[in-house]
Amino acid sequence: MLKAHKISYSQRKFTILEDIDVSVNHGELLAIVGPNGAGKSTLLSLLANEMDKNDATIFFKRKTFEEWDDKELPRHKAKFSQSNSNDIPLSVKDVVMMGRYPYFHATPHKQDNEAVTKAMQETDVEVLAQRDYNSLSGGEKQRVHLARVLAQLDNEVANKLVFLDEPLNNLDVLHQHRILHTIKNFTGRGNTAIIVLHDLNLAAQFADSIMLMKKGKIVSHDVPDKVFTREIISGVYNFPCTVCPNPVNKNPLIIFGT
Amino acid sequence: MQNRLSLYMFSSILLLMLLAAVSLYMGVYVFEKYSFAELIKGVIANDNTISDSDRFVIMGLRLPRISMAILIGSGLAVSGTCLQGMFKNPLATPDLIGITSGASLFAALAIVLGSAIKPYIPEVLHFSLLSIMAFLGALLTMMLVYRISTTNGKTNVIIMLLSGVAITALGFSITGFLIYISKEEQLRDLTFWNLGSLAAATWTKNAILAVIITISYIFLINKGKALNAMMLGERDAQHLGIPVERIKKQIVLFTALMVGTSVAFAGTISFVGLIVPYILRLIFKSNYHIILPLSAILGSVLLLAADTISRTIAAPAEVPIGILTAFMGAPIFIAILIRNRKSM
Repeated sequence: MLKAHKISYSQRKFTILEDIDVSVNHGELLAIVGPNGAGKSTLLSLLANEMDKNDATIFFKRKTFEEWDDKELPRHKAKFSQSNSNDIPLSVKDVVMMGRYPYFHATPHKQDNEAVTKAMQETDVEVLAQRDYNSLSGGEKQRVHLARVLAQLDNEVANKLVFLDEPLNNLDVLHQHRILHTIKNFTGRGNTAIIVLHDLNLAAQFADSIMLMKKGKIVSHDVPDKVFTREIISGVYNFPCTVCPNPVNKNPLIIFGT
Repeated sequence: MQNRLSLYMFSSILLLMLLAAVSLYMGVYVFEKYSFAELIKGVIANDNTISDSDRFVIMGLRLPRISMAILIGSGLAVSGTCLQGMFKNPLATPDLIGITSGASLFAALAIVLGSAIKPYIPEVLHFSLLSIMAFLGALLTMMLVYRISTTNGKTNVIIMLLSGVAITALGFSITGFLIYISKEEQLRDLTFWNLGSLAAATWTKNAILAVIITISYIFLINKGKALNAMMLGERDAQHLGIPVERIKKQIVLFTALMVGTSVAFAGTISFVGLIVPYILRLIFKSNYHIILPLSAILGSVLLLAADTISRTIAAPAEVPIGILTAFMGAPIFIAILIRNRKSM
């Protein structure tokens, strides 16, 4: 699905990423976790083809991004960014409709409107549809952009890929879980998601595999049970913790400060 | 959405046609025949049903001027809207960021130094020297301002406006110097630049304007979706398949062409690119998909109305049109400042 070999990235001789190998499969939900400054967002940016200067070649569905048709690519992959613009003087529905721009020329078709409505329902922003985007709270704006990304990938293409950079920031518990369930459904249909997350317990509960990073390097990349151990986590975060099985779903449960 | 847009387009075109018809009758000279249909029929048929003086006033004076107001108004308003989309700010207009000054500075240079360099350039270029110079001036200023004020796709509004102030000051000083050293005939031309007027309209100029505006619109007028997406940020727009870099280059090139040609033929008519998008934004928010095509028509409406007023309000004398547009534009400039003072 997506393969990259030995990704390195540096800015003004300051190394941000060093020799990172990434490989994700169809239907996989990969969570990238790690302390601040580990290079998680930079890695996501590189994988999503946002940066020009990078030496490693990234293969998405066996093709480099240069080989992809610019019009075709937005139907196969989408990205949710962390730094969302806070000045978009449009209605919420207009912002979500931007996700459908790759699909229509001037007038949205019926399926575009349907995709927008469905995406707004999934992220629970349907009631805000006619509101001014600028009048929303941070968490609401976040959900509007998630709806936009979902609407973008609402199509018949098989094996799509979505990048999400800290999608759960500012969200309340209900919406955190709701969004993760939506993403889990998405990967359940043979698609792939790569998510940068801060909450290790949510990552343990939802992700198929975990990539733990520190200072631009991969510390561990494996299934949650193998990555979330007391030695690895307390070492990487430099903070004591206890790992025990979650009494409800048997996933690893990390309790910090103990 | 599309039906709504067509409706608005249709009604504003109707408004423009009505205004053009009214404007044809406005002025000191009064036609012998009063019916609009008779006048038009007489001009088209060319069968002496209307007098020679009527024909001259229509074909030689009023119609070329009305056409030029329509063309330049439209071009300036679309330039303003596109620049605002590119700089992501409602204050980015050709005049405020110094593009008009850059163009008129180069035009002034062409007027004063033109006689000196004319022997060295091919003869075909003599006529268009002025517009080419104005275009170059506009293009260079735009690239300079964009380079100075924008890093990583984010525009620093204060730097953008201040570089406009700096370029305008430079243009002012050099134009002042040129006025000081110029001969009498050149002086008249230079004064015309600074105030702006459509009095020098001819069919040849209109034809050049029409060609340039048509070409520019083929590239720009359908960029509404792209400009909307660019509000998300340039990277996010790229994820939606918008070729951001290519679109920015097109905007720079074609707005420079339109602003440059307008300045070459009509001098500095300021604030059209500010007023029209501002009014449209009040009604349609910042949905460029709607306001970009509408600004093409409403720009014409605004400038035609202003020009008609400018040549009738103090008849038989004429008020320079730049004075009227600035009179409307300056309060709107202040209104935008007040509205955005928190985010600046």
